[in-house]
This record gives sequence, structure tokens and C-alpha cells, in this order.
Amino acid sequence: MKQSDEKLAQEAKVLFDESVDELDAATLSTLNQSRQKALAELHAPPTQWLRWVPAAAMATAAFLVVTIILPGPANIPSVPADVTDMEILLGEDSIEMLEDLEFYAWIDMLEQENDVG
Amino acid sequence: MSAESACFAVSCVSEQTTGTRALQKEQQLNRFLAEVERRALRIAEIGVRDRDDALDLVQDAMIKLARNYSDRSSDEWTPLFYRILQNGVRDWHRRQAVRNRVMVWFGRGKRDDEDFDIVAAAPDPMGRSPDEELQNSEAMDSLENAVRELPLRQREAFMLRTFEGLDVAGTAVAMGCSEGSVKTHYSRAIHSLRDTLREHDETV
Repeated sequence: MKQSDEKLAQEAKVLFDESVDELDAATLSTLNQSRQKALAELHAPPTQWLRWVPAAAMATAAFLVVTIILPGPANIPSVPADVTDMEILLGEDSIEMLEDLEFYAWIDMLEQENDVG
Repeated sequence: MSAESACFAVSCVSEQTTGTRALQKEQQLNRFLAEVERRALRIAEIGVRDRDDALDLVQDAMIKLARNYSDRSSDEWTPLFYRILQNGVRDWHRRQAVRNRVMVWFGRGKRDDEDFDIVAAAPDPMGRSPDEELQNSEAMDSLENAVRELPLRQREAFMLRTFEGLDVAGTAVAMGCSEGSVKTHYSRAIHSLRDTLREHDETV
């Protein structure tokens, strides 16, 4: 660095230090209070878990949106299989067919003979 | 001495040692902050042009240093502290830019008399003559204005190297850049300041 640059830096430093020395009492008092607040942080309990609060809140909100608000294919009503079976078993037609089982077997035999003939 | 009482004694000594170490660390940090706080305030004040905002920034930097880096070696505190402070100053400028855009949008500018500081206008507490006070005050004003006109990175490099007295390596840590960049920014800052202050002297 050139000598003139060094001289400029030195002069700037002197002016700056003077301005530091001129700080008023109210400002120095505020700085002291700030320092005490900072030192109190050394005794504060760890707050690491607080970092996860926003992420947890976002995850909960996303879960609620997906499960409650957004409509999905789950809304289409499905018929349980056992209910369908019960309807077939309890239907009147089915019982009649079971009662005339021999008649239907005879018709089936006739149709087969006609096909052969 | 029974085994239980021996364990108790060892536990007590261990807790005492930990407590003593914590107290030493607190005293060390207190000394560091007390030593650096006034210069840090003036550096922040030159950066943001407002004493109250500068006080807030210094307080934030102190708290963050104590909260996050108090367990580091005390040799590392100075560059870390100034890194936090410089980040705060940069954030402050970003917020101001947004605020100014909003204020312009709503047609509200800053009044001229808002900058008047009644404390700054009071007599000099160091007992210098009005002429001396005026001369130094004018010189510092010129210097501050010239420093403020520097680009941000040059201003940071100049203030940390010259005002705080950090070496190149410490300044690089504080600025979050390489030592080569620090040298470049500092050199350009010195040349710009010399030109600006020469122009000012010729004008006066």
C-alpha cells in the first residue's frame, strides 16, 4: 500500500476514534443494556425445538387440507360385497328358480337336443 | 470415605468446575462486547445513517453472538460479531428499499426536519473550542459521507480494516468472502475515498 493511502487510513481512523469517544451517556447506557440482554442469553434454556414449530404447523395444515377439504375418489359410495350377496340370496326370483330347478334342466336338455338335430 | 460419598464429592467438584467455566465465559464475553460495542455502533450508524436503528442492529448482533457462538474460541468472536452485524445492515437496507417503494406508492416522503437531532446540536462534552469542534465535526462528516458513497462491499472492507482494525483474514470471515476479494475491495475503497475527499477539499 502506498504511503499516501496509509496516511489517509490513519487520519480516517483518528477521526473515527474521536467520534466514538464523543458518544453521549444515553447511548452508552443503551449499549450497556443491550450487552446485559445478550449476556442473559447465556442462561436462557435451549430453544432448539422451537425451530421445528413452523415445519410442524405446515405439515399439519397440509394434512388437514388433503384429508378434509380436498374431495377425492373416496367420496364415491361403494357397495359392500356381503350386502350384494344378501340381496341375491333374498331376492324372490332366485328362490323361484331354485324351486323349478328340474323344469329349467328339462328346457336346457331340449335346447341341446335341438342343436344336435 | 465410602464409595457413595466419593461419587458425591466428584459430582460436586464437576458441577463447580462447570459453573466456574460458565462464569469465566460470561465475563470473557462481557469484556469482549464492552470493548467492541461503541465502535460497532458507529460502524453500523455510518452504514444506516440512524442512531436508533444502529443501536437495534448492534443489540441483535450481540444477542445472536451470545446465543449461537459463545462456545467458540474468543479469538473468533470479532469476525463473527461483525459478520452478524454486516448481515443485519444489509437486511436493513433491503427493508428500507421495500419501505421506500411503498412510501413512494402512497405518496409519503421523508420530511426535511426529521433528521434534526437535538442531542447532536448540544455543546461539546469534551470541552473543545467551537472552532476545533466544528473542524473535526466537518472532517468527520466529510469522511462519513465519502464512506457512505462507497459501494457496499468496499465500505464494509474499509470500515472493518480501518475502523475496527481487523486483519485481512478476519475481514474475509466477517464479510464472507476470500482474502483476495478483501484486498481488492479495500484498495478500491481507499482510492475512491482519496478522490472524493480531494474533490471535497478543493470545493471547500
